[in-house]
Amino acid sequence: MPATDYQGSSSPFASIGRSILSIRRDQVHAMDGHHEHGSSQEQELDGFQRHAADLLHDLAGGGEELLSLPWIRKLLNVFVICQEEFRVILFNNRACVSRAPVDRLISEFFERNVKALDVCNAIRDGIEQVRQWHKHLEIVTVALDPSLRTIGEGQLRRAKKALADLAVGMLEEKDATGSALAHRNRSFGRSNHASSSRDHHRHPGGHFRSLSWSVSRSWSAARQLQAIGNNLSAPRGHEIVASNGLAVPVFTMSSVLLFVMWALVAAIPCQDRGLQTHFSFSRNFSWAAPILSMHERIIEESKKRERKNSNGLLKEIHQIEKCARQLSELIDAAHFPLPENKEMEIRQVAQELTQIVNTMREELDLLERQVREVFHRIIRSRTEGVAYTASHFRLRRNE
Amino acid sequence: MERMGEDGEDKLIAMARHIARTLGRTDTMADDILQIFSNFDGRFSREKLSDEHPALSSLERRLRAYVSSDRPIWSDSGAASEFLSALDDLIAAGGLHPRADDLLQQCMLRLEEEFRMLIEQPAGTIDSGDEEDDSDGEDSIPVAYPVADYDIIIDAIPPGTVADLHSIATRMVAAGFAKECAHIYALSRRDFLDESVSRLGIRARTSEELQATPWGELEDEIARWVRAMSVAVRILFPSERRLCDKVFAGLSQAADLAFAEACRGTAIQLLGFADAVAVVSRAPERLFKVLDMYEAVRDLIPEIESLFSDQYSSFLRSEAFAIWKGLGAAIRGIFMELENLIRRDPAKASVPGGGLHPITRYVMNYLRAACASRRTLEQVMDDDGGSGLATTDLDRPSSSLAVQIAWIMEVLQSNLEAKSKVYKDPSLSLVFLMNNGRYISQKARDGELGALLGEEWARREAARLRRWMTEYQRMAWGKVVAVLKTDGPGGGGSGKAMRERLRLFNGYFEDVWREQRGWVVPDERLREELREAAVGMVVPAYEGFLGRLRVVEGGRGVEKQLLMFSVGDVETRIGDLFQGSSSVRRP
Repeated sequence: MPATDYQGSSSPFASIGRSILSIRRDQVHAMDGHHEHGSSQEQELDGFQRHAADLLHDLAGGGEELLSLPWIRKLLNVFVICQEEFRVILFNNRACVSRAPVDRLISEFFERNVKALDVCNAIRDGIEQVRQWHKHLEIVTVALDPSLRTIGEGQLRRAKKALADLAVGMLEEKDATGSALAHRNRSFGRSNHASSSRDHHRHPGGHFRSLSWSVSRSWSAARQLQAIGNNLSAPRGHEIVASNGLAVPVFTMSSVLLFVMWALVAAIPCQDRGLQTHFSFSRNFSWAAPILSMHERIIEESKKRERKNSNGLLKEIHQIEKCARQLSELIDAAHFPLPENKEMEIRQVAQELTQIVNTMREELDLLERQVREVFHRIIRSRTEGVAYTASHFRLRRNE
Repeated sequence: MERMGEDGEDKLIAMARHIARTLGRTDTMADDILQIFSNFDGRFSREKLSDEHPALSSLERRLRAYVSSDRPIWSDSGAASEFLSALDDLIAAGGLHPRADDLLQQCMLRLEEEFRMLIEQPAGTIDSGDEEDDSDGEDSIPVAYPVADYDIIIDAIPPGTVADLHSIATRMVAAGFAKECAHIYALSRRDFLDESVSRLGIRARTSEELQATPWGELEDEIARWVRAMSVAVRILFPSERRLCDKVFAGLSQAADLAFAEACRGTAIQLLGFADAVAVVSRAPERLFKVLDMYEAVRDLIPEIESLFSDQYSSFLRSEAFAIWKGLGAAIRGIFMELENLIRRDPAKASVPGGGLHPITRYVMNYLRAACASRRTLEQVMDDDGGSGLATTDLDRPSSSLAVQIAWIMEVLQSNLEAKSKVYKDPSLSLVFLMNNGRYISQKARDGELGALLGEEWARREAARLRRWMTEYQRMAWGKVVAVLKTDGPGGGGSGKAMRERLRLFNGYFEDVWREQRGWVVPDERLREELREAAVGMVVPAYEGFLGRLRVVEGGRGVEKQLLMFSVGDVETRIGDLFQGSSSVRRP
């Protein structure tokens, strides 16, 4: 409803910004009330579907091992690419987006996104948790440095301690994440560690630490995932028509969001992980097959005996667990002086561990940055969405 | 026997030593074996069989006692210095021999324990108000500046303990155990920071939880957060830095590592709250609290930049910066939401009597209140890559904020237009428009809001108001006045025609008066203007008409029977208008 009254000669908007607004206003009015030229919009929407499917196929069958750090980074990359395209679609269809029934769809979509933000924060805490373990491992690799001529008792002692700290750290995480009602016992006084034993670890009864700073004690990743996937169902024929076709990309993007968040929770330690989220995507959608396949493979992984109780399904966590256990056993069994073959065994495992440790450092940093980026992109895209529903007259381009 | 030659003897002695070592699994056993040898043959004297590394053995003797002791070494400062001095010798000797290395590792493990015990001592806590009377000077203890508002208990570590910690840290770093040392340090300090922040009423909250929190409660949390941020950035973190720099004096990398690890969690938790609030705050009434947060972070950025300038904590700088920007985006989002709300306000909710609509009152007061934070808002709006050019043209300001405000005014006026069309009576529509237009102009007349809208806008509004007024006159009173026109064709003439006109006038005037009786014009000046204008239009015409009527009737006074309203009555009645249905004076 144009405010034609105000387009008098003494318009308050002398600046260029206004004239762009007027141009857009005219564009919108031209589009108002009828579909955009059917074919180009259809092409755009179809293109998005196809591209998403391609990306997901590549993720499912590409070179990266499922649930490894490089794979997770690729997963987030897929999300970012899809989201960018989706943003463009929203922009190009903003007239439609700001009206019923699409406005409701979009607002639901952004609600899901907000819930995903909390997952991002929890995941970030989880990455920090893994970093803490990584620090212990670094100490192990320093202690068992291959450049040392021989491995002395001292080095083994140091490695052993670091491995013990690691084990405690991983166990704590399980305690903390195992129950959503895990209780963080705050003692405002200090307990005096008049420890008599050298091997005393800092766990006076009842005080264990959770490294979760971003979510409250009662937060649950499993619940959050359920909430993100709540009411998510494929649009019916009449809905698709009523929404000018937009219901389909909205459903696609929502599904991608859900899967990405679910996979992150599966892989990275976080509070109250749960993998029971229901995934049912009709195979009508070309992107459904790769998602369902990856979902199945991840569930399978979670059922494997040695991974049942793990903190997170991340491949690297598994590698750490294995190496650490192996090394601990070797070290525990070691008698001094160390026979050469035993020393070789230890060095070998230490070598494996060093390789893991070295690549992990950078990967973890990169991953954290990516998670942060996903976080900010989600916020930005939501702000834009609000702008579309606020007004299809005015558009602010964010940077 | 002496003729065996030195070589031979050395070999023999070496062999004896070797046997003793391999067979003797403990030092005492080896000793015993050597004793047996020496008893057996004079050549195997204890002195000659003393081992290859006398220095190392001596160090071992000095250190083992401490390493395996059950009592904390640092409970006795004499013991501590002995231990350290032996350790220094060990480190200086270089760790090439596996025995030396092993010894070193054991010492390091012990040092870790000692460090941990020292740093976790429940040392005397100092209330923020306490004076530090230690003659070492305030430099020795990380103490908070006395803050009047709130209780801060700073964990005070006595200078002696700090010195002890430092002495341990130097050795650990020298031996390559910097990471372990920094880690233990950070664990302990993290606990402390967590508690401090907890005392300040802050806990981790997710966006969803915040969404479910009633606004009143959230306002309180935000106020607590603003305070907590200030305390953290201005007191807690700098204290930690000072402590770090003392404990790790001369060990800058370890200091940076320890500091970053110690502060990371708390910093992220605090900053995360701002993110979460920004995400859930769209409702216009939240503007002021979000502005508080924006300003709080903005004002703390310089300190944050200098605090977290080392390589390990620099990511916290970019975090803080991103969150600051995020709050700005949230504020811009709030304005968009305001626009939304105005645009969507239904047109059918019209005010009876054409008075001031609540949305007008809300928006104008809101904008006035918002403009009290003009400087900050300019910053926020410019940040969006806006023009950022605040022209000096008072007539037509074009800063991003000015553009935004003017836009909201447009949206409001557009909405009012739609609302005005709901009234069936076009005159009432105009009264509605005038009422709301006048209110808008009044509210935008001065202050920051006026400055932002500019002179030109004000002139335009005034012109519109005048237009409406003219139109109103015409619509409301035109018919009434037209009937009194006696010049021109159809006018004048017989008394009968004139009397008919009088009757019509009575009817029209009564109708209009009855219709408009319930209309409201809250603004006093506008009310007067409308009345005066109406009077000015109707009364002279009526007077003239009556005069002519008397002439035509030739003084018979018939018109007196038809006369319903004297001139005075007309004035009075018009004067009664626009007060609403209350207080209508009976003529």
